[in-house]
Amino acid sequence: MTTDELERLLAQQPVALLHRLARGRVHRQFRAGKRRLIELLLQHSSHNRAGLESDLQALLEARQSQSASSAQRSQYPLPITRKKATPQTPVPALSEPAISLTGWLEGIGVPEPQPFVPDPWQTDALSALSEIDVVISVPTGSGKTYVAIEAARRAMEDNRTVIYTSPLKALSNTKYTEFSRLFGPDKVGILTGDRQEHSQAPLLIMTTEILRNLLYDAASGEIDVRLDTLGLVILDESQYIADRERGVVWEETIIFCPSQAKLLLLSASIGNPQDIADWLTSIRPTACRLVRHSKRTVPLRAGYLHPNGRLTPLFRTLGIPYGHPTHLHPEAKRLFLEYEEETLPSGRSRR
Amino acid sequence: MPPSIHPVDLVTALRHKQLTPAIVFLTSRRACDEAMEAFDHAELVLPPVRQDAIGTALERVIAQYPSIAEHPLIPIVQRIGVAAHHAGHLPSWKIAIEELMRQGHLDAVFATTTLAAGVDFPARTVVITQSSIRKSRDFTDLTIGEVQQIAGRAGRRGKDHVGFAVITPSPYIDLSVLTKGLTGQPEAIDSQFTISYPMVLNLLKAHPHEHIQGILAKSFAQFQLNQRAELLERKLDLLHTQLEPFGPRVCTDWITQWQTFDHVRRHRPARHQTHRSESPEIAVRLPFLTPGRVVGLHKGRGIVLRQYRSKGQKNSMLTMLRPDGAVTECPVTSVREVYDRTYDCAEMATYPWCSAETFDRLSEQLEDLPPRLPILPILASSPVDTLPDAVVQSLGDFPCPTCSSRTACQKDFPTASRLRQEQQRHTKSIQALRASLWHRFQERVNVLQTFGYLTSTAQLTEDGEWARLIRIDHSLLITELIRAEAFTGADPSLLAGIMASLAHDDDRPGAFPRISAGLSSLLRQVRKLAESLAPHEDPPLLRADVAALAERWVAEPTLTWIGLCRLTTMAEGDIYRLLARTIEFLSQLQTLKGTHPSLADSAAEALTLIRRGVLEELP
Repeated sequence: MTTDELERLLAQQPVALLHRLARGRVHRQFRAGKRRLIELLLQHSSHNRAGLESDLQALLEARQSQSASSAQRSQYPLPITRKKATPQTPVPALSEPAISLTGWLEGIGVPEPQPFVPDPWQTDALSALSEIDVVISVPTGSGKTYVAIEAARRAMEDNRTVIYTSPLKALSNTKYTEFSRLFGPDKVGILTGDRQEHSQAPLLIMTTEILRNLLYDAASGEIDVRLDTLGLVILDESQYIADRERGVVWEETIIFCPSQAKLLLLSASIGNPQDIADWLTSIRPTACRLVRHSKRTVPLRAGYLHPNGRLTPLFRTLGIPYGHPTHLHPEAKRLFLEYEEETLPSGRSRR
Repeated sequence: MPPSIHPVDLVTALRHKQLTPAIVFLTSRRACDEAMEAFDHAELVLPPVRQDAIGTALERVIAQYPSIAEHPLIPIVQRIGVAAHHAGHLPSWKIAIEELMRQGHLDAVFATTTLAAGVDFPARTVVITQSSIRKSRDFTDLTIGEVQQIAGRAGRRGKDHVGFAVITPSPYIDLSVLTKGLTGQPEAIDSQFTISYPMVLNLLKAHPHEHIQGILAKSFAQFQLNQRAELLERKLDLLHTQLEPFGPRVCTDWITQWQTFDHVRRHRPARHQTHRSESPEIAVRLPFLTPGRVVGLHKGRGIVLRQYRSKGQKNSMLTMLRPDGAVTECPVTSVREVYDRTYDCAEMATYPWCSAETFDRLSEQLEDLPPRLPILPILASSPVDTLPDAVVQSLGDFPCPTCSSRTACQKDFPTASRLRQEQQRHTKSIQALRASLWHRFQERVNVLQTFGYLTSTAQLTEDGEWARLIRIDHSLLITELIRAEAFTGADPSLLAGIMASLAHDDDRPGAFPRISAGLSSLLRQVRKLAESLAPHEDPPLLRADVAALAERWVAEPTLTWIGLCRLTTMAEGDIYRLLARTIEFLSQLQTLKGTHPSLADSAAEALTLIRRGVLEELP
């Protein structure tokens, strides 16, 4: 499609569809008139024309199926027609009745204290770490810290230095307190840009920038004894590698990390942990083991709380229906539609 | 119906369903503070036992961080068991709230989404009120990863059987963003590799120039670029097989041959001129060649008597009055010059085409003309570009018209040409992907060479040796300032002020104390330099107002933290962050002890002055 064709096609569409298309593409799109909106859309998607076109096609198809069912409906603003369109898609779970609120709220409470047993993935990661580098990508709160602590303990028993880095000073401070409590204050040190405490301790906590600087200095010949005995480098929150400003620091740290030290990358769930592991395998002397899973230790349920105080489950199922964002609870859907009707700016939502 | 649920109702509802403790994520700091204010007159009061528990827990934190002892929010937190937690607060206050939450004393915390990535801070329930987040002045939808990061705070290991993520709507919420976020796969992450000046200097210090390309090739950025290049290579292979049926024919490179032939064929002018037409240069002259006009010819000059067209002549013709009273005919093409001079001329229909007296007068005037006459500037519009004659004439040289594979070529040409163009495009992209990092590195090297940090052989110069120790943002500006001796004799407070203005990258407006004259003149100098460096490094904001704040803190050792906060409308947490960043920048200057001792001393002095009160509490 050429620009002119696209422009003509856009001009033929109702402005509601253009607003829908502009969501996430054009800032404050609801303030622009139709012509300006078309201009902005073309301008903002100049680098991703294909994406705009495919979204437009999808919207047009949705509209067509709408107008087929009811010619009048397509006159409504799109945010609402879209919500109404959801039940049209075949929903396999529709045959089962939706979960009730009491069922959804069941099981709240504090579990009995149980002796701690490490999960299989945790032992797996730890055993791999004695030989090779490990990348861990698991959901928040499923016990990455246990692996870090246990790995640090083992390395320290081996008379090896351990460096633990985090992206934020606040996190470094929390970990400093936590590790000092666990290993004893003289075993743990912290290095920030301007201050050092117990800088000769076997477990050193610092921000990633500080470690990068240490590695720079080591590479240019200013030898730091701490790097000679370095056995393990733990990079917490390593999804920061995708941070626009600071991501490069993580890459440098990993590239310059001494080869005798093992790397342990802890990361929240990301889409392509395999890439990270493959990359490490390609540049490090040993292969890299990827440990990933998406199962949460504490299961999650989603709810919807209406401004009038009514609480309902958000999805039809008890847990989160992964991969099925449209399996909404009928009650939540009804309440949200009601909400949108009432709060959307006048003239857009009134029938 | 209210546009969003009232904070008091929200907490009541959560308590009622035993969904506490909860973290409520709100759009802005202001929303968090307003939510707290909403509790001012609420009837919701904790039982005394829990109030006391919060009190004792807080005392323990206060013993460690005395700065929060007088915090204005303590009474309300203690009374209702709800707190706010955002970047406008002091780190020590945030630690206190985190500690209270960890021990289970609080029912709800109102927080901004920065918390989701920041600290280890779980609860039974998270409440999500928004589907977009402010990122540098713009609101963007939450990514799947961000939604899961937020929802991940729900459910404490060992303390909860289940965690809850509760969505409560507010204006402009897009439910589908959140449902997709909860149920989807997090996005793949991409490398954000950038090459900074200190990186170049440090790499070249440790490794010879020719090894650098190998080091850059080890980056995740290159790994991902290679992945894309491999994808393109696969496409290239496919194109190669698709191009196979279009291999060599009668001529080896028949695609190019046909392309040229086709082009020439389409653009060849018609063989015969069927109508009379002048070239544009001539055509624009015609209106000026009226009776009485003086023109220059091959030999001498003349006055136009008439202009006419005659059958059998390609061009318009002129009748001219020449010197000595001769009347001659000539085509318009023989006119060399059209002069800016005309005489009155009474026209007649027969020879000599003007009245007798005019003829005599014109003859005289022609004799009396000055030797140099002004030329009439006549602008011809540029001719439509035609193929160069050489190509047109060589059309006879193409074998195509008589070639045996002519029909096949004609039929296949569109497909083959498209495929070949794609092939060329992919090849170029692959080259760019493979070499882009190295090119970016080279660009940086060139800049550093022009500024004299690197020699022409990419060795570190004397300046480069110390400049590589400055490893923060705006490093080029800082090192250039040092070389320009902008800081010579600058006392610690000035230095701190400048570093603060370099370090602060937030454009949140506010009221600030007055700036001193010395700092203001120094800042002007810094701004000028920053502007001149703009092509090589993005200039910092260089706000004078925040600089004044840091200056005051260093210059007046008696100024208390409360006093400093009173000087400005900036939030406490922001002031803390400003000073902490200033410390970071100053400690970089401190590393230049060997080469710039007086600057390093001044920085060290500023550091000791800056570190007091609240700033001393945290390591």
